[in-house]
Amino acid sequence: MTCSDVRRVLPDIVDGEIDADFQAHLLSCPACSELVDDLNLIVSEAGTLAETDEPPARVWVNIANQLRAEGIIRDPEGNPARPLLVPAQPRRWSLWWLAPVAAAVLAAGSYQLTHWNAPRSAPQVAQQSPAQPPAATPAVTSPANQPAVVAQSSSTTSHTVNPPAQAAKHQPVPAPLPKAETEVASNQNASREVSPPNEEDQRFLSEVSERAPGMRSTYENQLRAVNAEILETQAYIKRNPEDLDARQHLMEVYQQKAMLYQMALDRIQ
Amino acid sequence: MESIPRSRVITAVLTACLVSAAVAETKKEFRYVVGPNTVVSVDTQYGGISVKPGNDNEVLVVATLQSDKAEVDSRQIGDRIEIVSHLFEGADQQSGRIDYEVRIPSNATLSLRSSLGPLVVERLHGDLSVEGMDATVDIHDVANGHVHVNTMRGPVTLTNVSNGHVEVGTITGSITMKSVNGTLVRAVSGGGKISYEGDFGAGGDYKFATHSGDIVATVPAGTSADFSAHSMLGKVQHDFPLEPRHSHMASYQPGNAFVGTVGKAESSVVLRSFSGKIRLTQR
Repeated sequence: MTCSDVRRVLPDIVDGEIDADFQAHLLSCPACSELVDDLNLIVSEAGTLAETDEPPARVWVNIANQLRAEGIIRDPEGNPARPLLVPAQPRRWSLWWLAPVAAAVLAAGSYQLTHWNAPRSAPQVAQQSPAQPPAATPAVTSPANQPAVVAQSSSTTSHTVNPPAQAAKHQPVPAPLPKAETEVASNQNASREVSPPNEEDQRFLSEVSERAPGMRSTYENQLRAVNAEILETQAYIKRNPEDLDARQHLMEVYQQKAMLYQMALDRIQ
Repeated sequence: MESIPRSRVITAVLTACLVSAAVAETKKEFRYVVGPNTVVSVDTQYGGISVKPGNDNEVLVVATLQSDKAEVDSRQIGDRIEIVSHLFEGADQQSGRIDYEVRIPSNATLSLRSSLGPLVVERLHGDLSVEGMDATVDIHDVANGHVHVNTMRGPVTLTNVSNGHVEVGTITGSITMKSVNGTLVRAVSGGGKISYEGDFGAGGDYKFATHSGDIVATVPAGTSADFSAHSMLGKVQHDFPLEPRHSHMASYQPGNAFVGTVGKAESSVVLRSFSGKIRLTQR
């Protein structure tokens, strides 16, 4: 069995269908073994969402009455007291997918943090290109700001990692920020406005709309803000792949997005 | 005919309004006898929650309902108390509002959730978990426990929180910390500002991070800490005579990063922002 075979039969392991060849491959392939472990973890964590209490009976009665009033369901002949539409499982089961999505968001962030070295390897959660300079938005930072930076750095060189005397004497006037940096800075405002939710985000917002319509706009605005931060950070990392702090920051932004999903999950169940 | 003075009319109208408001409000009280390992959770969609210490073997909940479009679901399982606001059809922010005043044992574990808040917790010693969408969160005089706060836009204020773990996360809200010390203090905000006023208590691991919000830390001269600050696109500034040390941050531009120690460097303080300003000032 090869790695591609493993990926093909991966959904079957959720149902417990594992054969000897599969097991043998896992023993010899750390990558596939780790993948299976991650999938099992997600499945088990999603399962805990089901272990919650039933809502009071009046919830189902109210729902059935509302649906009956709207004509969506009708009582079957001969049994008028029994609604047709009775949930077979607690409503919370239908939201279990949010937990693995939140886990997937974190996993995507972890992957980016450790493997990003391609010029354009945008993950699923960020689909909009950040390199679109707006027509008229002024740059947040510009070469005109550099003299202030020089003055500050000169006054504080005794307190920075650079040797004081050498820094004061030999530190050249920093060149203006690269154009890309100014573009990123100037794009911050633009990206906050034009970073649309992706497919998973849209599904998330649809669930919110259905279960808590009054909250949709709030969640949507917060999602846009977080997605904009992800785009900005990714764009920065593209130009500065060696910046470890930026990679760590990207992970933190993904954690914030996962937090947003989790807060919605807690509220709209 | 003598005309009625305007002041009397206004007074009468105000009195009528107050009376009608008082009539619409309903208070309900719940008392529970509990043991030493009390866990209390309160969840209200619309409404504030205020929690203070009370008797060591009792949980007292006073709920103020604004209308009959909401009710309180409460239950006790052993030492676990669950209070949930249940909204009926047609309830909105006004009619569905239920405010809670809660008294719990000071070492109880507490979990609060409210969309609008405010959420206020004081003088407790147990673990806290507070979650609010737009709720203002105010936690003060709390010690020895884990304090975990999440909001979306709600501002968070922590005052006199000591000797525990503190983790605060908000998407766009602000985080204000005064005299907050602990073995681990984490504060993360996307677009909000983080303010810290204190001495970064001995031996603690502090990390503040924002995306675009500014970070301002005001500390006394006798602080003992290892500072590391980096803003990828913003500026950093400090008032301290930091002793330089070797760090990977030497590759960053001086105006965007600084690193160094003060005193014995007993605590670790990491300040990070993507595009916000970072300021370390001396009190």
